[in-house]
Order: sequence, then C-alpha cells, then structure tokens
Amino acid sequence: MNTVRFAWVVLLSWGLLSAASAENYTPGQKVTKDYDSFAKSFLASHCVDCHGETDPEGGLSLHDLGPVDEVNASTWTSVWAQVTLKEMPPKDADQPKVVERLQFSDWIVGELTRVMRDKGGFRAHLDPNKGNFVDHDLLFGSLPDGIKLELTSSPARIWRVTPQEHITRLNELINTEPKFDPEKPGLRTHGDVVPTNHGGELKLYFGTDRIIKWQGGTVAYATSVKSVPVVLSSARAHGLKNYPDFYSVNSAEATQIMGVANDIIRYMAYGPLSIANPEQITDDPNSYKMEGDIRGLPTALVYSTKVVRPLTPVYELMKEEGVTDERLRAAVDDLFETLTFRPPSDEESDAYLEIVKQSIEKLGKKDGVVLGLSSLFLDRDALFRPELAENGEPDQHGRVMLQDWELGLAVNHALRFIKPDEELRKAIVEGRMRTRPDVKREVERMLADDSIRKPRILRFFRDYFDYDSGGYICKDSKALADTGASTRGTSHYRAMFDATASTDRLIELILQEDKDVLKQLLTTDKVVATRTDNVYFGRKRTKEEIALSVAAAKKAADEQKKKEAAELEAWKKANPGKKPPKSENQKPANVNHNVAEARLTGPKDYARVSHRSFGNGSMKPERVLATAPKGQRLGILTHPSWLVSHSDAMDNHAILRGRWIRERLLGGGIPDVPITVDAMLPDEPHNTLRERMRVTRETYCWTCHQKMDPLGLPFEMYNHAGLYRTTELDNPVDTTGEIIYSGDPALDGKVGNALEMIDKLAHSERVEQVFVRHAFRFWMGRNETISDAPVLQDAWHAYRDSGGSMKALLTSLLTSDAFLYRKVEYGRDR
Amino acid sequence: MINRRNMLQGMAAGVGAAFGASLLPRQASAASSQSGSPKRIVFFMQNQGFDPATCIPTGMTSSGSLAKAKLPEPIEALEPFKERLHIINGLHGIHTSPSHSAFFGALGGYRGSDGVPPSASTIDYELSKALPQTLLPHLCIGMDSIENMRTKPTIANLSASGAGQPIFMYSNPNQLYQMLYGGISTGDIRRQHEARSGVLSQIEQMAAAKGRSLPIADQQRYGQYVQGFRDVNGLRDRLDTASDHLRKFAPAVDERYTKPEFETDWHDVLLDLGISALTSGITNTLTIGSGRGEIFGAWKGLGIEQQGHNLGHMTQHENPIWIKIRQYNSRMLVRLMESLESVPEGSGTMMDHTLIVYTSNNADKQHTNGANWPVMLLGNCDGIFKTGCFTQLDGKRPINALYTTLLQVAGQNVDRFNMDDKLAKKFDAATGPLKEVLG
Repeated sequence: MNTVRFAWVVLLSWGLLSAASAENYTPGQKVTKDYDSFAKSFLASHCVDCHGETDPEGGLSLHDLGPVDEVNASTWTSVWAQVTLKEMPPKDADQPKVVERLQFSDWIVGELTRVMRDKGGFRAHLDPNKGNFVDHDLLFGSLPDGIKLELTSSPARIWRVTPQEHITRLNELINTEPKFDPEKPGLRTHGDVVPTNHGGELKLYFGTDRIIKWQGGTVAYATSVKSVPVVLSSARAHGLKNYPDFYSVNSAEATQIMGVANDIIRYMAYGPLSIANPEQITDDPNSYKMEGDIRGLPTALVYSTKVVRPLTPVYELMKEEGVTDERLRAAVDDLFETLTFRPPSDEESDAYLEIVKQSIEKLGKKDGVVLGLSSLFLDRDALFRPELAENGEPDQHGRVMLQDWELGLAVNHALRFIKPDEELRKAIVEGRMRTRPDVKREVERMLADDSIRKPRILRFFRDYFDYDSGGYICKDSKALADTGASTRGTSHYRAMFDATASTDRLIELILQEDKDVLKQLLTTDKVVATRTDNVYFGRKRTKEEIALSVAAAKKAADEQKKKEAAELEAWKKANPGKKPPKSENQKPANVNHNVAEARLTGPKDYARVSHRSFGNGSMKPERVLATAPKGQRLGILTHPSWLVSHSDAMDNHAILRGRWIRERLLGGGIPDVPITVDAMLPDEPHNTLRERMRVTRETYCWTCHQKMDPLGLPFEMYNHAGLYRTTELDNPVDTTGEIIYSGDPALDGKVGNALEMIDKLAHSERVEQVFVRHAFRFWMGRNETISDAPVLQDAWHAYRDSGGSMKALLTSLLTSDAFLYRKVEYGRDR
Repeated sequence: MINRRNMLQGMAAGVGAAFGASLLPRQASAASSQSGSPKRIVFFMQNQGFDPATCIPTGMTSSGSLAKAKLPEPIEALEPFKERLHIINGLHGIHTSPSHSAFFGALGGYRGSDGVPPSASTIDYELSKALPQTLLPHLCIGMDSIENMRTKPTIANLSASGAGQPIFMYSNPNQLYQMLYGGISTGDIRRQHEARSGVLSQIEQMAAAKGRSLPIADQQRYGQYVQGFRDVNGLRDRLDTASDHLRKFAPAVDERYTKPEFETDWHDVLLDLGISALTSGITNTLTIGSGRGEIFGAWKGLGIEQQGHNLGHMTQHENPIWIKIRQYNSRMLVRLMESLESVPEGSGTMMDHTLIVYTSNNADKQHTNGANWPVMLLGNCDGIFKTGCFTQLDGKRPINALYTTLLQVAGQNVDRFNMDDKLAKKFDAATGPLKEVLG
C-alpha cells in the first residue's frame, strides 16, 4: 500500500468511527463496519492483552485472528458468546461501552451469517438456548444514551406443525373425543392434545373406542390394535422445542404421511371394517369365536357396532354408489379444512378435485378416492402454518400486520391444537380478525372458556420446566434399586409417564386460580398424585431405619406365627381327633423397607392420559389432589417428574439442574462446552456426586460451572428417583449451595437447601421477568431482541399488575406488535 | 446442512424411494471403500430369541474351527457354506433390557421396549451411510402373520435414523414391488404405479408453487420438502429408464403376491424383493425383521399351527417347531448367498463383498436379561472377517462392540457405538472392535 492510499484509509476509518460514535445505534440493523476499521481495534483494546501471541490465556490467541472466515468461524463464535454474555473482558478489566459491545456482537453475527451462508449457515444466536444472550438489564432497565430502538415485528415465515399437533389434527378425522365435563375438568376431552402412551410413544390409534373384547394380555392388545406412530420428527431434548424454523418435512416423512393418509381415509369411510373382518364387529362378543391362540393379531379384537367416529363428507361419498362432483368437492373441501384449518381457495379446491378425479379414472372409485384424497395430507398448509402477511399493506416501518385467516390461525395456534372454534371461524370469515382489538376480543374469550381446551399453554410449561422426560431416562437397575423405587418390569418408567401427566394437571389447577402463577408453581405444597407417588414423594430411610423396619416386620411376622400356632393348638384341644381347617396362609404384604412412604390423600381428580392403548395395563386417569409431606417439598422443581427429568442413569444431574435455574429463572447464559473439554465425572461409587464434581472446580471449567453447580447441588436433598433423603452413602447429605452473579444482589448468597433457594427465587422480580422472556420466546417462536424491550416490559407489567395472571400475560403478548406484525424479506423467485 | 447425501439418507428412512443421479451402483462412488471392504450388509433378525443350542455344533464348548463339526439340524442348510460362517456366542445385551424384545435397542445397542421410541440411530442405518453409495441406501422388510402384514403393511420396530426417528419396514410385497419395479410392472400394479406417480407429480408441482413466495429464510427449509418429492419422482423416472437392467433382477410376480395361501408366501416374495434390491444394485443395506421385532409372528406355511407369543415361551432346543422356523431362516440365508454369488463383481462375486449378520432382536430367548446374545456372521469379505469357526466369548463385551467392528470395517473411525464411556465402564470390558471377528 502506498503512503497516499494508507492515509486515505486512515482518514476514512477515523471518519466512520467518529460518525458512528455521534449517531444513535439501532440494534438489529446491519452494522456496516469492517474488520480493519472496527473489530480489529476492539480486539486490540479489549482482548489481545491477555490473548496475545505469547502465553495466551486459555491457550487462545486472538492477535492474528483476522476477518471472519469459514476457518476461524468457531473462534469468532466463541468470541461472540464471551463478549455478548459479558464474560469477557474480565470483570476487573476496562469494559467496552454498552453500544460498543452491542455493535461488536451484532457485527460478528452479521459476518458469521454472511460467511457461513453456503456452509450450513450460522444460527447460534437464533437458538432458544441462546435467548438469554440479550442483556436482561437492557430489556427491563433504562436504555443508555446512543441506543434507538426500531418498532418490533417478527419475520414472515412458515411454521412447521409439531409431531403432537399433527397427530392431534389427524385424530380429529377418525376419533370422537368426549365433550368437556365441568364436573371432571381433568379428564382428557375434545381439544386436548393426543398424549403419549404408556411407553411414552406418540401414536394415533384406530377404533380403540369400539373394542369390547380381545384375546391376550396387555402386550397382545397393544399389538392387535391398529396404530400408527408419529411420522414427523423432532429431536430437541430440553428447552423450547418449537421455533418455526427448527424442522422441515423430509421426503421419508412425506411418503409415510401418504401411507397413513390411506389408512385414515379408509377408516373415515368404513370404520373398523377397514381394519377388521365383518364378523368381528358385533355387540355380542361371544358370537365371534376366537379359535386357538391369536393373541397379537388384528383378528383377536371385537368391535361394537355403535358408530362413534366422526361421519364426514368422505363417509357420505363412499357409502353410496357412483361419484358426483358435488360429493367429491364436499369431501375435498371438508378434508382440506380439517387438515389445514382453513377452507381451500377456489383454485385449491379445483386442483385437488382434479387430482381425485384423475385417480378415480385410473383406479376406480374405491382406490382412486383414497389415493386422490391422500394428496391433501401433503398440502403445504397441512404441514406448515404460513404467516406470510402477503395481503396487508406495509406500515411506514415496513411491517405488515397479519390479517384474516393468517391472524386467526396464529391466535388459534397460540392456544389450540385443533381447528378454530365456530366463533373464531365466523370472526375470520366476517372480516373481524384484522385489528388489535379483534385479537384481544378473541383471546380473552377463549381464555375465559374452560371448555375450549388450550393445550398449547400446557405445552409452554412443559418446555419451560422440562418435567416431561423422566420416563425416557434409562436407569441402571442397581442404581434405581438403591433409591427405593421399584425396579419391577417397567414400573418406574410407567410411574414417570404418570408423573408427567400429574404435573400437567397440577399446573392446570394453578392456572385455573390464575394468581401469582409462577410463584405458585415454584412454591406450592400441593401434589397431584397416583398411589405409586406415595413412594416417590416418600422419604428414603437411613440405613438404621431400614434395619429397624426389617426387624420390626420380622418381629411382627414371628408374633403372627406364634399367634396362629397358639390358635391352632387351642382349636385342636377343642376339637380332638378332627382335622384342623386349612389356615388362610395370607402372604405378608410386600413392604418396601427402604422408604417411609408419604400418605398422599385428598379430593379426587383426573389427569389427561392416553386412551386405552395397552389393554388393562393402560394409563389410568385417576388422581388425588394431596399435600406434600411438610418441609420436604416446595413446588414442582422438587417433584419427581422434574427431578428425574434432570437426572441420568446412575445419579442426579446437578449440573443440568443448576443450568436450568441459571437460565430459566435467573436469565443467565452459559456458553457451549468447548469441544476440547472431556465432560466426564470420575466413576467413584463410594463418593457422593458433590465429591465427584470436584473436577469441575478446575479453573478452566469453573468459570462456567460456578454458575451452575452451586445452584444444582441443593437438590441433593433428593435422590435420583426424586425421593427425599437425609443421608447419602450413609452420611448426612450436604444440600448447601449458593446463588452468585444473579444480576440481583438481593438474591446472591449461600443457601442451605433447595427449598430455601426456591423460596428466595420465587419472590424475585427478576425471576418473574425471566419467566416472561421465556413466554415471549414460546409464543413469538423466536428469541427476543433489544427492540422487543417494550413488549416484554408491557407483558411483565400486565402480569404483575394483575396479581400474577397468566391470562393477562398472554393477552399482552398476543396483542403485541411482535405477535401481530411481520416483516417480509423475499427471495429472488418472487 | 442439506446435501444430496443427507437427502438420500432421509429418503431411505421412509420408503426408500430415492435414487441418486446415476442409477445402478456400479459400486458407485465409495464413501469409504477400501480393497476388500464390504460393499453391502444384510441384517436378519429373527424374533423370540436365538437359542445358542440351535446353532452351536454339539460338543463344541470352546472356540474352534467348524471344519470337522456338524452343524445342528436347525441350521444344517448352512453346512455347504460353513467355511464362510462364524458362530459367535457370548456377546451380551444386558443394557438393552430385551425381555420380550429390545426393539430398536437390538440394532441400536441401547435400552428398548414395547412402545418406546428409538433413542438413537441403529447400526444398519449407520452402515448404510458408510458403505459405498447406492441409489436406495437402506431397505427394511418385515415378515409377520398375514393379517398383521395386511393391516399394518409398514411398521417400525427395529431400525432408526436417529432419536425418535424410526425407519419403516415393508411387509406388503405388492407395495414394495410397486415401489421398486412399478416402472416395469403390468396389470394392476402398473395401474397403481401410474396413478400414484401422477398424484406425486402433481403434489410436487403444487408444493413447488406454494414455495415460490416464501421469505428467503424459509426457502432452503421448504426446499428440502419440495426436493423430497423431486427425488421420489426423479427416482421413478430413472427406474423407468433403466427398466432393461432392472428387468434382469426383478422377481416375477405370481399368485403368491396377490393370493397368498400362507404368510410364508409373502415372506418368500419379500425376500425375493430384498435380494433383487441387492443384486440389481438398488441398495447396499437390507434389514430383514422376521417377526418384525415384536413377540408374535406366524409360520403356518411350514406346518406350524401355533402362532404368536406362545412360540416364544417354548424351549427352542430340539423343539420341532423351532427347528422348522430356524431351518426356514437358514434356507433363506442360503437363498441370499446363492443369489449374491450368481452376480459377478470385480474379480469375484457379490457375495465376496457382502456380510450377513443373523441374530435375534431378543438375544437368546424370551424373557431374557440379555446376558448372552448369539450371532452368526456369513461372508468373509476377502478375508476381512474370520470365518469357518465358532467363537465363545466371555460375556463381557456388548453387541455394540460387534457394531463398532462393522463400522470400523466400513471405514469409520469409531471406538464405540451408541455407548458412552460411563455406560461402557459397566457394560464393556474393552474398547474398539471385536478382534475375535476379524481375520
């Protein structure tokens, strides 16, 4: 570079910098700076002192990092995480100004997005686990000078339906779910989600509501009944699982959907006759002779003759001879609306009608209708919900408000898994879903009506709390036996699936009260329980107590024997020469000496479990609403469903629990584990988890682990099946922990156990705000940005001012700009 | 990231209807190919357990050559092939909790149970990715009672492409034939093929039309959906144009397809279709689920009147029923090997580059804890695998170790399969491949 050119560059760079510092910065707008003029100097000022050429901290040298490219992208991603989370520069070093840090962070994201566009893309900042990377104080505190916010909106997008939404949608075609019963509000009813079955599997069942007899046991039943597993897949283990852009539909899924469609259409047309022989359909089960061992076969079932499935235009079309255009179109239009939740346009109706007609021409009516109609199941809008805002006019900020069907379906989707109810449909059709008040009216109406089931609200709490994976965590048999829980067959896993449904119900009860919802969830002493929960909510006895219990049982048995012998002797004396009657020989009750069981009693209630899918072994809905043993539990974080969901095969998972508290309650961010870290605790069966976790205290690990471990270890007051305990490895269990760097100095400090910690957190304003942030993410389907600060603050105030009402929070979120407006960035094809 | 390979794998997971740019393997672009390494693999999973007494020659209690041994009656059909046979006793699958069946855990090496979704991918799927690329990377067929195959023509119990992502087995030979050979079919199958093709083409057009107005951020994701249909339709077109080649391998459709007398008619023709998919080069990985991974099944065509779960409660050793079932399995294995031998490949035949893994999805028996999981391997792949012998292991290595071996042989640099170090400490006495299997 010659001298003159160099001088120009310096001048230009200086000019840009001074211009930038004089202007307002609008987060989210493209940072038009380059490496040399901006990022390099940031690194030089704040990073290279420690991460220089010689002996760099953590072995990371940044002095020659250079502009973002595909080779150094992972390093830049780490720099982004550290700087954004304010981990770096270290607290004792000079800190960049707020705007400077934001710009640097946004610049890295912009560059990584540009560079990685054709190499898999850069999406880390969009992941819900990185939602907390946005500084909490900037969202809920006052903004420093130099930041100007743009009016918020969400991107135009298509949102893939989830596996559970899909199954629930398909279920509407072949099963009639019972109406809501206000007397038994916990029972599964129309509009509730199709739940997972006894094994935690999501399946669509055919005709189980008509089966009146079967041969064989529970497994035979489950194999005999017609069922199809969920076809759409999702793979996220913890956290929010349903951002619009997580999943597509691959061709394997599409092909399977067509196969399932075939089964569904036939069942819609013919009912159980599509899956059974005519003689199996009778109200006199004995008239059908099952010869030999046919367990597990479809012929081992008897169906009643009562028609219970919905009778739709598909049924009407198939029940009569021949085909008319009118019947065909009715079938197409009705099926289209059940699958996409909206009526087809004329073009769509014509196109599908044509497909069905062509299929009939080739295959005849019976097979042609089935093949032709199955194409509807693959319509884009049956698998993705569009929010494209194609029909509105952009406002002066380039935002378009959703309207009509898109807006109506967005509101519906916020609460429901099935198609809009009549009132909402009417409002959409009559042009009354176009304004913010329209949305408010419908949201408030639906929230006020318990008979309109709103499973998506419960879905949020599952995603937020992560209490629904206990049944999927494979336990080591010996380790499980040590907890005091039963290891017989699959009883533990069944108990965990039951526990998930129980926690669902408890949350519903708290939502029904709708007061201080988060605080209640965190501190309630109520428990929705099955009988098995007496063990899971029980207390693991100490070694001495177990010995005493065993001895007492032996003593009681010996005394019983003696008593019986004495009675026998007396009988013989009274009846000389006669043969004494057979003793009843009662088996001693199966006592679990390892556990002091809780006595969970209270009013009857019901949990939403799957319909019969496993014969007599199916999940049962009966529950009681009880009070947890005093001083041992506080809110759902201390319930086995949550505890086991945050455990592993052998033990508690204190790190995962701590991470949950850090992220979901304190709003902190944890960077990804560096790939160089061998994240393994030593295998030392004679040491406690706390002792084994000493390895995380090494400097390299402790930077992050200090934010998780001391928050997770207070839960050591429970073992890994969720039973309360006072000892661990026969010594008093250490349940201490500490809250640090919470962002709220009043919260920081040592805690004696989980109950103390939870109580502290439950009263925190910051924790409430973090909860609101998660609700925002769930209902907007994206991470918050600083521009969303007004929406978040409004939502939090709505919640707070209403005394902790979830309904108020939801109404605020669903009438916000972030929910209503879309910004459209179209591609070349348009 | 979406690329062609992923796309093909995605397709395979469903039906398999994806064919790549060029038809026919010609031992295509090898992903991992090394001299002598296997080019294809077959898993044959018989349900209800594999009693070692039905395969270990009488008197053989320790490892040794099979040269002078006489194979037991249930597998005597393999006698002429015993120099390619390796009987392995003493692997374990305790961690898979088989009991009635380990379901996905049998090929995944993890805990499985009835109604429990797969917790990770299975070995057959992983191998289908590692083996030289073919047009349809993975085909799964399932054999069951005729009623079950009719009412549930596709079912997923054994194979998976990832957590919660089951791969379906095909059990209705008419549907499978239509998928593989619709283009060269006649009569009803042809008509159905054409009707289905027509519908799929129109779905593709409609899907594509609805994708044109999407925002940039969604285009790639939605594109994957549309591309799926393009691949399905493209596959069909390419198959149609390659009909001359396929005709040489496609089985003749007879009454066993349309009017089966027994379920075994469908079992036989399903095997024919599976074999033809290998010999024609359509696929490199075939998974056969006899009993479809469940605890039921029927073999009335063999003269076995009893069916279903009771079969699993019987002792298999010297039981005429189980002798018949195992003999039937063995005849199928022979058919597979003879068919593959009849197709030249390189300086030898297809069988020279094929490995068949025969075992059960249920270890050694019904209600087992999985402490012993007998396996038979057939094929030596130019000496890579040790054959002609019986190996008695000490029960300290899991089936995952065998799967690790297969992945390594297929060129994958792995020390374990679906088993983290923590689990391995408890369930695996060593790391890396099962040396006893390698030549």
